[in-house]
Amino acid sequence: MKLLTHNMLTSHVKGVIKGYPLLIKATEVKVNEVEFNPQFVSRMIPKLEWSALVQAAEELGQRQDLPSDLVPDYETNEEFLKKVHRVLLEVEVVEGCLQCPESGREFPISRGIPNMLLNEDEV
Amino acid sequence: MMEEAASRLERDHVHSVYDKIAPYFNDSRYKAWPKVRQFLLDLQPGSIVADIGCGNGKYLHINKEVFKLGCDVCRPLVDFAWSQGHEVQMCDGLHLPYRDGCFDAVLSIAVIHHLSTKERRIRAIKEMARTLRVGGRIMIYVWAMEQKRRKFEKQDIFVPWNPNPLSPSNSSGERSKPRRRATAQSVSEAIDNSDKHRKVRSTSSVADEGELTCSTPQQRTQRLWFFSRSLDSVFDFGSLAVSRSSSRDLSTLSSPPGENTGNRAGVCGRRRGLIKQVSNFFSPPSVIGSEEDVFDSVTDGHKEQNSPGANKNTAADSSENQSVPVSLAQECGALALPDLVSFQKGHLTQSGDESDGEPQGKEQLESTRSPQGSEGQVEGSCLRYYHVFREGELAELIENHVEELHVKHTYFDHANWCVVAEKVQLWKI
Repeated sequence: MKLLTHNMLTSHVKGVIKGYPLLIKATEVKVNEVEFNPQFVSRMIPKLEWSALVQAAEELGQRQDLPSDLVPDYETNEEFLKKVHRVLLEVEVVEGCLQCPESGREFPISRGIPNMLLNEDEV
Repeated sequence: MMEEAASRLERDHVHSVYDKIAPYFNDSRYKAWPKVRQFLLDLQPGSIVADIGCGNGKYLHINKEVFKLGCDVCRPLVDFAWSQGHEVQMCDGLHLPYRDGCFDAVLSIAVIHHLSTKERRIRAIKEMARTLRVGGRIMIYVWAMEQKRRKFEKQDIFVPWNPNPLSPSNSSGERSKPRRRATAQSVSEAIDNSDKHRKVRSTSSVADEGELTCSTPQQRTQRLWFFSRSLDSVFDFGSLAVSRSSSRDLSTLSSPPGENTGNRAGVCGRRRGLIKQVSNFFSPPSVIGSEEDVFDSVTDGHKEQNSPGANKNTAADSSENQSVPVSLAQECGALALPDLVSFQKGHLTQSGDESDGEPQGKEQLESTRSPQGSEGQVEGSCLRYYHVFREGELAELIENHVEELHVKHTYFDHANWCVVAEKVQLWKI
């Protein structure tokens, strides 16, 4: 699971109001090499919940010097875009779980795949 | 009650079937529909797209400029998609784990026809609409009732799965090899490589049923659709009667000794109890004909066998209404069914009434399977549930029940009804 994906994921347990963002508890993390496409990253940024991304990167110990707030004119700031590229697309959670911030329910991640299926009593 | 029955039906006749057939699903017979491909290619660079019910991920490699993620309930298929380098999750379409308005586009290709009630189909569409941003678009494909050569007689059907081991599409050479994500391979590389695998065949009109590629007459089996009444239309949960076609001979069903290994319970046979329970809701299947009619690229040398069987069947059904157990075998008559070897007989009595004159009853299905050759095959004949859509039905569903979506295009593509709709801002006063 990449952090770009994580940024979209939310807990949908019945009754939960604030199921986002999911807390990441990772037991295995990988960092891959992914081709850098500055335009792609630049267009992704407005679609992100920025603070959730920073929090996720922090939880994985991969934040490095990613700022808490978006820098102005990031579209042309290649250095910044590279940092974002790295946390969005290169960092990957292979094993672990995602925890609902409200209910505590844990969704396992195994072999890179989060299992977001709910039990019958949770729907 | 309905909800339980619906979800049980889908568990038994969609989820568990796909779990079993997943290994056979991942080969080059599953092509990307060109219009779906085009929809993806037309997206603005930097878009985020979700393929809801992505299966083996065959659409997830299209268009490097957009971020794609997929989800499905079927673990083996999702695993395969991941092995190809895609971002995928496990979830079910009625409860999507994505925040509101986070996608620029959503795909639902041949998915919601597996939901067994109208209400669930609407809920699935609404869920997808929820995750779409305003202005974003969704493309939905569902199997059409109206096929090129014929029309399904009913909308709620069970389709047997039967991979043909001797068809070229099953040769392992054509199968996409799992790609290790652990290497320092870039995502785009992975995408490019999987593209090569997909170039193989022309974009055929054959959808999910790879068995249509079988080549020899011996291998061409008669595939039959089993029809049922929609869960939506059931009023009487009491036991139902089955009518018998007296002209049927059970022995036509037994395969020659070499092929029939008897009542060895197939993987699908295990669910007998649940099938029995669920099938209480359904009238007995009537044999329509071969599945080739669903897909327009198949030659049908054996088509003529269908009509006598179908005619006899209808005649017999309408003339009798006894509480006599009947097996599917009898219903199928003289048509060869190498993949449906033995059946459990159901014994029921009817209390309700069928206004349209068609036979009512229930079929208790226990399908088992004998291997047809030395090649390994899927055990059991797995029946997948489909609700096939009438012309206009999908668009109507959206127009009448999903106000946050505006239908932009509707068309018929190969064997499917298709809709492209746009998410609109709803203003509540």
